[in-house]
Amino acid sequence: MSIVVDSVTKHFGDYTALDDVSLEVRDGSLTALLGPSGGGKSTLLRVIAGLETPDAGTVSIGGEDATRQPPQQRNVGFVFQHYAAFKHMTVAKNVAFGLTIRKRPGLGRLARTARSRPEEIDERVDELLRLVHLEGFAHRYPSQLSGGQRQRMALARALAVQPRVLLLDEPFGALDATVRKELRAWLRRLHDEVHVTTVFVTHDQEEAMEVAEQIVVLNHGKIERVGSPKQLYEEPGNEFVMGFIGPISELSGRSIRPHDVDILREPADGTVEAMIDRIVHLGFEVRVELTLGDGGRTWVQTTKTQAEELELFEGDIVWLRPNAPAEDAPAEPAVPR
Amino acid sequence: MRSRYALRFIALGYLALLLGIPVVLVFINAFQDGFAAAWESVTTPEAQHAFYLTLVMVAVAVPLNTIFGVIAALVIVRQRFRGRALLNAAIDLPFAVSPVVVGLSLLLVYGTVDGWVGKWFAEQGIRIIFSTPGMILATMFVSLPFVVRETIPVLREIGTEQEQAAATLGAGSLQTFFRITLPAIRWGVAYGVVLTTARALGEFGAVSIVSGKLSGETETATLLVESEFRRFNETGAYAASVVLAVLALVTLLAMNLIKPKESRT
Repeated sequence: MSIVVDSVTKHFGDYTALDDVSLEVRDGSLTALLGPSGGGKSTLLRVIAGLETPDAGTVSIGGEDATRQPPQQRNVGFVFQHYAAFKHMTVAKNVAFGLTIRKRPGLGRLARTARSRPEEIDERVDELLRLVHLEGFAHRYPSQLSGGQRQRMALARALAVQPRVLLLDEPFGALDATVRKELRAWLRRLHDEVHVTTVFVTHDQEEAMEVAEQIVVLNHGKIERVGSPKQLYEEPGNEFVMGFIGPISELSGRSIRPHDVDILREPADGTVEAMIDRIVHLGFEVRVELTLGDGGRTWVQTTKTQAEELELFEGDIVWLRPNAPAEDAPAEPAVPR
Repeated sequence: MRSRYALRFIALGYLALLLGIPVVLVFINAFQDGFAAAWESVTTPEAQHAFYLTLVMVAVAVPLNTIFGVIAALVIVRQRFRGRALLNAAIDLPFAVSPVVVGLSLLLVYGTVDGWVGKWFAEQGIRIIFSTPGMILATMFVSLPFVVRETIPVLREIGTEQEQAAATLGAGSLQTFFRITLPAIRWGVAYGVVLTTARALGEFGAVSIVSGKLSGETETATLLVESEFRRFNETGAYAASVVLAVLALVTLLAMNLIKPKESRT
């Protein structure tokens, strides 16, 4: 279901975590909240889940105002960075938790939702464990699982209650690089399978670009820009977004992508003279670090083939020229869609 | 290598001198006139009543202090309010104040003749001092801090994420407490319960003041040990001590037995 956040503000003491934030998340989409730590992205996610109450503004889920609803009534799936596994329960019990508490009438506010019979719960748990590839682990305890397995268990647990939206707070932040890459691709595929509206928080721009359809860049409690990964990369709109999404270099006093600079052997129209300080070979990519004629420093990203063609060596004098139309950062802030 | 043995020698020797040898001697002395004499001395009507009364103290003080202890720990760890530090400090008061002082202060509050509220209770026909209620109050007071102190660190350690996860899955606050929080802190609570029980079994000073020490009426097991000792009935005193020690050991063993495998690993 769609999520609409309207003019939400949240303070923690003197600290403003969210400052008049408005955002719309389309039904069935996969959205990343991206930004530096302390930018407000986790707070925004927790406000959507009902784990934090906004000081001002409203949140609606599926067209229904949820601002005053406690998390129990919002029917959202939430996945925590550190898994929040129920340590005293087996994997199967963890996954079944949301279903078993609904089973008992009168005990919780959720007695109103459909009750499940034990066999139905077992079936659903089996199905979910297959979905997250943990079939053989039903009777293990969380302490017997790896980090990646625990996070997949947490995901199955969140999906068990058929949430209206799935919210993930830095879901891969505590995992090592290899597992992280695997899980990213897997989350993408899972979303194609399950189609639940998903919002995840990350500070890793590569993760956001790879997984999300829509990226929301948050900084200092404000939304800097909303757009598809391609849009944000090509038209970042402002200096902060440009620096945060993708690498950045400087030439003639303006920011530029380091691969948007040509290296020439002869001076030409609009070129700047520079001396090569260092050439770093990163496999296919070659990074050339240079000192400009005016003493400033910059770097250029090129390919192995090009570097070999130009026969670049440290100490050489070369001429630099932007190869793409200037992307001047407009001062106006991005408008959320 | 040698320093390791030295450390071990200090640790074990200290324990043996302070704890091991005296306790062993109590056991030996209890049975110096044979098992029959010892058995006889702890099965007199007075002795039986004393043990019964001690168990009553435990049966009331331990559950009440456990419930209070868990609630107090939750408040101290999870809530921020003015006076929280004061509450935290006040809970340690029974550790700091001598039990004799506790006994005397209870007299001031509940004393039948000129106690602060004791007079009112006496008018209603409720006797607190020199009676079981007063002794229970004294026991509760001295055994108050254990569950709180053992629960606070585990509560801090588990954090609130599991509870938040339960909330997003639809669990109400009671469901969350009984299904998530309590199972997560249970070994801290259990250890607190064992310490509370041991303290309640062994309490002497405060109970001694408010009991009036009427043999067969307001005499607990520890008071019995003292009175037997004063009457030069050494077998009686030591045999009752052995029973108290065995009760405490049983409590410890019980906790170890109910502990499931999962948490031992």
